[in-house]
Amino acid sequence: MQTALKLQGVEKSFGEQKAVTALELTVPSGETCGLIGPSGAGKTTSIRLIMSILFPDAGTVEVLGQASALQAKDRIGYLPEERGVYRKMKVWAFLKYLAGLKGMPEAKSQPRAKELLAALGLDDILQKRCEDLSKGMLQRVQFVGSILHQPELLILDEPFSGLDPVSVRALKGVISAERRRGTTILFSTHVMAQAEELCDRVVMIHKGRKVLDEPMASLRRRYDPTRVLFEPLDANASLAVLRDVPGVVSLQQRDGEAELSLAKGTDPAAVIREAAARVVPARIEIARITLEDVFVGIVRGQSGAESEAALRQHLQGLSGEKA
Amino acid sequence: MFNRIRLVATREFLTTVTSKGFLIGVFVMPLIGLALTFAIPKIMAQRGAQITVEVALIESSGTLADTLRRELDPEVIIARRNAGRRAAMEQAAPGTGDMAEKAPAPQLTVPKFIVKVLPAGSTADAEKGWLTAQDIGERARRALLVVPPEAITQASPGADYGLYQLYAPRNLPEDAEDMLQDAMRVTLTTERLRAGGLDPALVQKATHVPQPRTVVVAPDGRRQAPAGLNRALPFIMGILLFMGVMIGGQALMTSTIEEKSSRVVEVLLAAVSPLELMWGKLLGQLGVGLVMMSVYITLGVLALMQFAMFGLLDPLLILWLLVFFLVAYLVFGALMLAIGAAVSQLADAQSLMGPVMMLLITPYILTPFIGRQPDSTFSVVASFIPPISPFVILARLASSSPPPVWQVLLSLAVSVGGACIAVWFAAKVFRIGLLLHGKPPSFGTLIKWARMS
Repeated sequence: MQTALKLQGVEKSFGEQKAVTALELTVPSGETCGLIGPSGAGKTTSIRLIMSILFPDAGTVEVLGQASALQAKDRIGYLPEERGVYRKMKVWAFLKYLAGLKGMPEAKSQPRAKELLAALGLDDILQKRCEDLSKGMLQRVQFVGSILHQPELLILDEPFSGLDPVSVRALKGVISAERRRGTTILFSTHVMAQAEELCDRVVMIHKGRKVLDEPMASLRRRYDPTRVLFEPLDANASLAVLRDVPGVVSLQQRDGEAELSLAKGTDPAAVIREAAARVVPARIEIARITLEDVFVGIVRGQSGAESEAALRQHLQGLSGEKA
Repeated sequence: MFNRIRLVATREFLTTVTSKGFLIGVFVMPLIGLALTFAIPKIMAQRGAQITVEVALIESSGTLADTLRRELDPEVIIARRNAGRRAAMEQAAPGTGDMAEKAPAPQLTVPKFIVKVLPAGSTADAEKGWLTAQDIGERARRALLVVPPEAITQASPGADYGLYQLYAPRNLPEDAEDMLQDAMRVTLTTERLRAGGLDPALVQKATHVPQPRTVVVAPDGRRQAPAGLNRALPFIMGILLFMGVMIGGQALMTSTIEEKSSRVVEVLLAAVSPLELMWGKLLGQLGVGLVMMSVYITLGVLALMQFAMFGLLDPLLILWLLVFFLVAYLVFGALMLAIGAAVSQLADAQSLMGPVMMLLITPYILTPFIGRQPDSTFSVVASFIPPISPFVILARLASSSPPPVWQVLLSLAVSVGGACIAVWFAAKVFRIGLLLHGKPPSFGTLIKWARMS
C-alpha cells in the first residue's frame, strides 16, 4: 500500500513553548485518519507542518511521495482552521480563483462547484458576494474550495466547528463520498464522536505528543465494555438496589438513569439479566466505549495528576456540540 | 509557477481597478482638483460690499495729496495687485507666472478712498476723536496719515529719509491698510524724486525692464519649449512618479493586510508559495499603476496638443518616465508589501510606514532644487543614491539641461540594484509575516526576519 503521508521525528517550538514533540505519523493512501485531542493539543500546528506553512525544527515531512507539500500543492486540498474569503469577491469568482491556482480549468471546475454546493444545501449562490453570506455558508463554500480540484489528499482542520446539525450531516455525506472516491483524508476535531463516525484510524495528540495511533476497529475491540446503562420504566423507582447486583462496583444516577460500572471480567449479560429482575427496565444497554473514554483513560494513565471528572468536563466544555 | 503568478496578478489588478477607491483616485480627484483651481478664485472674489475710507493727511509739502489720490485710484490699485500676483506665482512654482497673467484676475472690491488734507498745525493727538468716531455709518472707515517734511526731503545729503505714520481705528480692514501702504510707498518715492530734482516719469520708465520669454536653444534644435514648460516639467514628472508609486504601494499594503486579517492567506498559501503570491501582487498593482500613468500621460499629451505644444515635449522623456516608474515602484511597492505582511491591521502599519513615507517624500521635496540646478554636484550625486535616484534623475531628464546618457544608465543600474535589495527584503519579511498575528513588529524585528534564512 502506498503512503500518502509520513512524518518522522517532527518537532516544533514557538519560543520556549513546545508545540509538537517527536511526532511520528504514517497515513496509507485511501485511509481516513482522525486527528483528535483537546484545543491547544497541537493539532493545527501539526497540520500546518504537514502543509509546509510552518517548517519543523527537526524531523521530516513526506507528502504524497514528495519531500514537502510544496511540491504536491495541486494534489492536496486544505481547509484551514481559520476560515477566510475575499469579502468583496463573488462566490464563483473566489472558487474559480482557488481552482485555477490548483491548476483546474474553469470548464471542469464550474459543474463540480455547482454539484458540491447543491449537495451542501447552497444552491444559486455562485453570483453572490462573499460578504453577503452567513458564517456557516462561507464555511461550506470554503470546504468546496478545498475539494474542488479533486485532491488526492484532503486535509481538513476542524471541518465541522460552527456548523448547524443539518450542515454537519451534509458535510459528512460529501466527505464520505470523497472517501469512496479513494481520497486520503486527514481531519482534526476535538469532537470525539465525529472521529468515531468517520475514521478508519484515530491519532490522538495531547500536549504536543502523540498518545494513541490505532485503527478504529481494534480500538473498539481492545476496550471491553465495562458499563451498563439502565433506564427504569417507572421514573420514580428506586435504583439503589441495582448497586447490589453481583459484578457491579459502582452506581451513578443522573436524569432518572443509572450507569453501572462493572468489575473487570464480569459478564455483562449476567448483570443485565439480574438488573432487569430487580427493577422493571424501559431500556438497558451496554455503553459503547467512546473515544472520550479512551482519551481520558490514556491521559489519566500518563499523568495521575488530572482527575477524570475534570478531564471529562474539559472535553465537554470544549466540544459543546456533541453531534 | 508563472501560471499562478499570472492568476494572482490578474485578480489583484481586476479587484483594484474595479474598486470605487481607484476610480475616485484616478478620475474624480483630478477633476475635483481642476474644479477647485477654477472655483477658488471665484469664491475668493465673493467679497463684502464696497467701503469708503476717509484718509486725513497731515503734511506740509502741498503736492503729496494729489500724488496719493492718483495712486489710490481703483484701476491703479488693481494693476499693482496683478503685477504682485504674477511675481508671487512665479516664485512659488516656476513657469506659472504667465498663467497668472492670462488667468482671470480675482475680482477685487477696492474701497473708495477719499483723501483730505488737514490744515497746518493739526496733530495726531487732536484727531483721535475724529478717527475713532462711531457714528459715521456702517460702510465708512477712517485713517490718518502723518508725513513729516523729512520723509520727503533729506535732512542733510546722504541721510536716511524720515518715517511716515499711519493711524487707524480697529475696524480698518487689513486689505485697505495694505492698499494704503502700497500707495504711500509709490507716492513717497515719486515725491522724493521730485524733491531731489528728478523726473519721476523718467525714473519709472528707466527702471522698468520687462522679463522676456526665454527661448531655449539646443544644438539639435529639438527642445525649444518656452522656459515656463521647461521649468514646470521636472515638477510634473515628480508628481506623476510620486502618485503612481503611492497609489500602487498603498493598494499593495491594504490588500495584503486584508488577506492577512481575513485569514484568506492560509488558503492561498496552500495553493501558491509566498514568493509567487508576492510577485503576483507586485505585478498586478504594477498594472494598476501603469493604467493610472497612461491615463494621466494621455490627458497631459492631449492638453499639450490642444495648445499645439506637443512637439515641444521629448517623447523619449515619457519612455524614461515609465522606466523609472517601474524601478521606483518595485522599491516602494516591495517595502509597502513587507509592511502589509508584517502587521495585522491598518492602524498598526502607521508606525512602520513613517520611514518609508520619508524616503518617498524626500525626493519630492528636492525636485524644485534639482529642476533649477540639474547640473549641481548635489543633483549628480543624488542621482546615484537609491531609492531616491529614479526621482532625481527623472527631474534632471525633464529639466532644461538633461544629464549625459552615461549618468542616466548608471542611475538606472544603481536603482535596479536598490530594487533588487528591496524585493529580497520584502520576500523574507513577507514569508515570515504572513502567518503571524498579534503585536506589530518594529523595523528592527523586520530586519531580523530578513536575516533569518
